[in-house]
Amino acid sequence: MRSLLAFAAFVMLPAAAAAQAAPTDQQRAQLESLRAEVAAQIQLQAYDLVDELVYGWTQQPPFGLDTPVVLAGVSVPVGFGSGMQALIESHFASVVISNPRSRVILSHCPQCTALVIHSGAKATIVARGVDQPEALAAAGALAGSRHALFLDFEAEGASLVLRARITGLEPSLPIVHAKTLSTSTASPALLRTGDRLKSSAEAHQEYVDAINGLSSFVAPMRIAVRSYAQGDEPLSVPPFIWVQAGFEGAFTQARSWTGGISVGYSYAPELHNAFLIQGRIARLVSGTATSLTRPDLYIFFAASAIDVRGVDAAMFREDVPTPEDIIAAAEGDDPHQAFGAFQIGLETRVKNRIAVGVFLETMPTKNDAPSLGSYVTFGAEFQTAGAEVTFCF
Amino acid sequence: MLLALPLLAGYDPLPHLFTSKDDARNMDCRRISQAEANALYPGRIPEPAGRTMAGSTRDVLVCRRRFVRLGERPARDEVILTSLRETASDIVQAAVAQAPAGEKLTWHVDAFYPSIEVSAKIAVAARTELAERGHRVSDRVPLLAAGDIAVLARLPAAESYAGACTRYFAEGVLKDGDAFLGIMIVDSRETQLHAGVCVRGEWSWFR
Repeated sequence: MRSLLAFAAFVMLPAAAAAQAAPTDQQRAQLESLRAEVAAQIQLQAYDLVDELVYGWTQQPPFGLDTPVVLAGVSVPVGFGSGMQALIESHFASVVISNPRSRVILSHCPQCTALVIHSGAKATIVARGVDQPEALAAAGALAGSRHALFLDFEAEGASLVLRARITGLEPSLPIVHAKTLSTSTASPALLRTGDRLKSSAEAHQEYVDAINGLSSFVAPMRIAVRSYAQGDEPLSVPPFIWVQAGFEGAFTQARSWTGGISVGYSYAPELHNAFLIQGRIARLVSGTATSLTRPDLYIFFAASAIDVRGVDAAMFREDVPTPEDIIAAAEGDDPHQAFGAFQIGLETRVKNRIAVGVFLETMPTKNDAPSLGSYVTFGAEFQTAGAEVTFCF
Repeated sequence: MLLALPLLAGYDPLPHLFTSKDDARNMDCRRISQAEANALYPGRIPEPAGRTMAGSTRDVLVCRRRFVRLGERPARDEVILTSLRETASDIVQAAVAQAPAGEKLTWHVDAFYPSIEVSAKIAVAARTELAERGHRVSDRVPLLAAGDIAVLARLPAAESYAGACTRYFAEGVLKDGDAFLGIMIVDSRETQLHAGVCVRGEWSWFR
């Protein structure tokens, strides 16, 4: 056995080593996918930090007057490439241009970031233009810009840190403005729009207000259509149109669970008068909290007690009408049926204001009604399919 | 009771059937009160109850996945970068305390680390920290002639930085109103950053 294992190791180890040395195309694709995912998270956080920086400048400008500044360098976290650098540069430029109150005017100076060779009496120096402003000044390449801005991003654990500094382009290279911003572990991304910047506190308050604006209780008004599957009898139950109203409460602030009760009425001239009372419980399945920007999807379960009077009620009978029943109906004694029903359905709700749903309903006591068939049989016979539109007030 | 709030993962950050130990190690978690969590995540964490029983205080564990997973960058770089903000803050605080009191100095900062990228990050962090604290800081890095560097590189670390400090002032690269803050690792196996200050040609280690 031991020799077999040794042989297996002998055969497999070189193969494993080769696999480790040269990743397969699939591994490369996975790595690229993972890298893109991480870069996207960092990019969003980096955008937030840039927004926060420029917002800070609009409140406390680093200069008294509009001042041309060269974006001399954007350094991304160690391990990330120039693609992210280009995205941040573009975003920064768009935010600064949209916010002239920052007093920072972006200036174009290609020589500032290029390598410049300057020969003097003491030595020949090869360095970036911003590192030897005297050479740039002598070459007349500063183009009115006297300040260079550096943005440095670094991933420090689960936080992204932005260090921004503005350096005066004079021989001593003094740092005239510096700011460090960090996404702390507990602060969610804000993603503000670039042209209407807010402080992080204001943006968070807006979010809280929006959440709190969603009251825990709403009054839904629902219009539903129930269609009944045809049974063995040639006569079938016509669709019922219901108007329901009630109240609904959320069990949690996230509105992940809701429950409510409603009463409904359905009327068809000469055919029926029907009432129902329904209790319903719903579970959010499209996330852990209701969204302020996307529709929410709920799965719901309901139990109803339904009372039908009129000719249509006869269709719910489990037995064939007798002559006495027909005579009684002709004499004005309407048929009457009362039964329970259970629903399961899906509802899409937009901002807790309007909802559209579909459902299946089973009436366990009406399984033997000859006028009723079944749309779906899954543990129970679902004799009813329906759709509903709900308006919440 | 502890409510777990993994922001990106959406599941319990502790190792279990669907979370490996590696995944758990890559979570950066912080425990905050339920009231604070409700203020930060009002849609996800309910308000604390008005009245609480003794011993029924709830905490919330806020977890976020590290941007760069452990192992993706060299281990030493990762350690240095993860705590860069705190380290830079500590070093700057100590450096300022080390400098002569009442004197308005212009600070120059440089970092000496095997990786150029990480070295730049350390120097930028320290410069920014100094400038934010209201000190006069220059972006210019003092340089020595190639001959000086060739000699200093052969000396032990304890002597080479002191020698460089002397040469900075002897060559006129730094002047009386200047201070130089050097941040470095002395042994390539360590993850602890050391630092020293050079004022008027005198080098002093403080970390």
